[in-house]
Amino acid sequence: MTNQDHRVISTGAPPWKSPVALSVFLHLLIVVVALAGWSWTSPVDEPPPRSISARLITQQQPEPSPVVEPDDQPDRDQQRSAEEDERKKAEAEAERRRQEEEARRIAEQKAREEEARRKAEQERKKQEALAKEREEAKAREAARQKAEAEARERERQKAEEERKRQEAERKKAEEEQRRLEEKRKQEEAERRRQEEEARKEAERKRLEAERRLREQQLEALAEESRKAKEAEARRQQQAAAARAKEAQMLSESEKYQALIRERLSQAWYPPSSATEEMTARLQITLLPTGELAGVRLVSSSGNTAFDNSALSAVRSLNRYPIPDDRETFERYFRQFTIEFNPRRLR
Amino acid sequence: MTKRTWTTSHKAVAAALAALIMLATGARAELLIRITEGADAALPISVVPFAENGAIPPGDKISEIVRSDLAMSGEFRPLPAEKMLSLPSRREEVYFRDWRMLGQRYVLVGELSRNDDRVVARYELFDVNQEKRILGETAAASVNSMRTLGHHISDKVYEAITGVPGAFSTKLAYVTLDTFNGKPRYRLQVSDVDGKRAKIRLESQEPILSPAWSPDGSRLAYVSFETGKPAIYIHELATGKRTKVADFPGLNSAPAWSDDGRSLLMTLSKDGNAEIYRMDLATRAVNKLTNHWAIDTEAAYDHAGEGMFFTSDRSGGPQIYHKESLDSEPRRITFGSRYNARPRPDDKGDFVYYVHQRESDFHIARTNLKTGVETVLTRTGADESPSLSPNGQMLIYATKQSGKSVLTVISADGAAAYSLPSPEGEVRDPAWGPIVN
Amino acid sequence: MKLSMHAKVLAMLLSAGLFAGCSSTGETVGDGTYDSDVAPVDDGSTVYGGDDEGGVSSSALSEEERMAAEERAKMEALRDITTFYFDFDTAEIKPEARDVLVAHAQYLANNPGQNVRLEGHADERGTKEYNLALGERRANAVQRFLIVNGASRGQIETVSYGEEKPAVMGSSESAWAQNRRVELVFD
Repeated sequence: MTNQDHRVISTGAPPWKSPVALSVFLHLLIVVVALAGWSWTSPVDEPPPRSISARLITQQQPEPSPVVEPDDQPDRDQQRSAEEDERKKAEAEAERRRQEEEARRIAEQKAREEEARRKAEQERKKQEALAKEREEAKAREAARQKAEAEARERERQKAEEERKRQEAERKKAEEEQRRLEEKRKQEEAERRRQEEEARKEAERKRLEAERRLREQQLEALAEESRKAKEAEARRQQQAAAARAKEAQMLSESEKYQALIRERLSQAWYPPSSATEEMTARLQITLLPTGELAGVRLVSSSGNTAFDNSALSAVRSLNRYPIPDDRETFERYFRQFTIEFNPRRLR
Repeated sequence: MTKRTWTTSHKAVAAALAALIMLATGARAELLIRITEGADAALPISVVPFAENGAIPPGDKISEIVRSDLAMSGEFRPLPAEKMLSLPSRREEVYFRDWRMLGQRYVLVGELSRNDDRVVARYELFDVNQEKRILGETAAASVNSMRTLGHHISDKVYEAITGVPGAFSTKLAYVTLDTFNGKPRYRLQVSDVDGKRAKIRLESQEPILSPAWSPDGSRLAYVSFETGKPAIYIHELATGKRTKVADFPGLNSAPAWSDDGRSLLMTLSKDGNAEIYRMDLATRAVNKLTNHWAIDTEAAYDHAGEGMFFTSDRSGGPQIYHKESLDSEPRRITFGSRYNARPRPDDKGDFVYYVHQRESDFHIARTNLKTGVETVLTRTGADESPSLSPNGQMLIYATKQSGKSVLTVISADGAAAYSLPSPEGEVRDPAWGPIVN
Repeated sequence: MKLSMHAKVLAMLLSAGLFAGCSSTGETVGDGTYDSDVAPVDDGSTVYGGDDEGGVSSSALSEEERMAAEERAKMEALRDITTFYFDFDTAEIKPEARDVLVAHAQYLANNPGQNVRLEGHADERGTKEYNLALGERRANAVQRFLIVNGASRGQIETVSYGEEKPAVMGSSESAWAQNRRVELVFD
């Protein structure tokens, strides 16, 4: 991106540079022609240079376009606003550098012009020295010394005129230059203003985007917090419900344990050989209907009759009393152990 | 890298913890229901009439004998045959669902066949709820011993279900009293435990009492007044031969056999006061085991065969005492009331049974020898002569019914009572014979 | 001590007998004495009635002879009583029975050739063997009393029937009271 920006500027440079070189070259040419063709000075006031400068100006017109470019750019979406910002900042920086470059170039141009003038002056002085040499030679020739003097006077006047005209021309050129400069400055100011506006607009948009983003973030945060609170409330509610359920299941379980104990006590006929030392443990598996799915003697009493009495008792119940609640059933009654251990033998 | 490792191990720990929690939850969910009390009722059992193949003598039906035996034990509640939905005689005919519907726990089926002069019984016992055969056997007896066969099957069924040997093939001795030609008629009789097949062993116009079985079941010792005063006799049942072993001045009473059948404990008052003596039957020599001004009588060897229980009123009224050995100091056992007499210990050393007066009534009670807890076993009110079945599960005693003495069998824990069909006149002094193989 | 007390009782009895003899027949006295003895007994059995014949007297005797005869008759009337009763689970001779037993003892003392059998009984309550011993204890108690009052040991035989031979059938307090007894049986 940044590279591209640089490239945009560098590509924009040649059309911007070339007219300046061209103008310098043309000015020099004019001076040379003017000095060389002393006799045909009349075309000095000819408009061509004007047309050239006008052409130059028109050529300079597209200059700000790369800077203004961001103006035409469509609004970036919010996610990209930061990048846009960055890009704009970079652009501003590029612009700043470009302007500096331009100022530098102007200064250089001026220096070059100055140099050209100086050279022209030197050239002129050299020409004058040559002319003087030639006049002196003519005078020595005597025949036409006076005429030459007159001619010299005329020449001098004409040169003076020429000088004045050149001065005016120079002033006019300077004026033109100043005007151009003014215009350029105005354009520059305009461009800056536009840039500033664009920047401000961009900044505004960025701030707006930021604000929106922040708002959205805040909103999201609030939403998140609300949701978290809701979730927490829900969780607590669920936990409370779970606890209540747990308690209810436990009490249900106890109720049905007592029922099962009662039913089995009625169904169990401890054999005569039973003693209080005998214990048989049976693992029971029930169906959700309360029907016995399976029974397994996990610990024998060591007395076959006793074990049989326990097995028979467990199998004698057609349906075990079990809670309606499926969860309680699964938790407690799907599988459990029954221990037969007589405590109150008569 | 380190962080990742930590995270991994952390995860592993968390997983382990979760597993532990699951386990803990699982352990909690594994319910344990403890059953410490059983049904306070008799066990429902169906004794299906046996199928009969061939010439089976009419009269006593095996199934009826078995039913009656099991009912007498107090531990069983046999279903009357008319309430049965079917009468199977072999396994494939038994529909467990039907018997289950009838609330039955066990079903006994069988069939009889004739083999020369013997009747062969093939029988099977099923656990209805487990749908499982728990007994299957063939037994034979002579044609005129159908009751013997019946009692044998009762014994086997009883043992298969309760884990305790049955005592239905044992004998009872008892004394009947009626009036004949205007004179009292005492008769010593021996019968099956259900009172059937009674045989008179001795008849007298004078009292006969305290029959006592020798350990092998071949002899009875008893007190007879046939000479006008009490004397102790030993009666060989097989031959009818009688021997008067004790005829000292005064009392000669309360004979009790030693485990080896070679000596008798007895009460003599030859020295002026009722004391307990031990008589060596071979030599007839007696040695005195008690020496007190009080009445000491009704001795019985304890379960170990070393010491004895007896009645003494040395405390002012009759109470039960125990001697660890025959020559040790007696220890008083009963304290529950002012009258406790005639101890009969079981053969495990758990309980001693005796006659116990409560208010104006006399009951049979027992004391737990380990805890000292006394339990009154009978609801009748003029009870005496308790005698324990050899398997320790039943107890027979004499009580009054319509002013007449009759015999009643209860389960040894007093839960159930069964009155034996009483012959004419009074029936008293029952003595339960040993299991004889 | 016991002797002197017995002598006193005897003396009192004799004087009472004399007094009674003056006014009435001996049987009344005898009955009266007995009644107080076994007050709870209502169904009269042979045990209590006592035969009347002993009370008849002849008029030809002298006063002394008559008095002696009356005395004898009195004693004989007393001796008609041969059954003695006891409280439950005791062998204690009741005070009312003592003069009668004394009469029997004197009779035995006067008639050394006369033997007596003491049959001890118990009521049906309690155990047979213990009751057998209890009956014996009662018989022994009576035996000792007779010996103390003049009878000799050799004349007396004891036997206990325990609860085997009740005098009265039944399971009432009155039946039991009549069955807890010692009977004197003279050959």
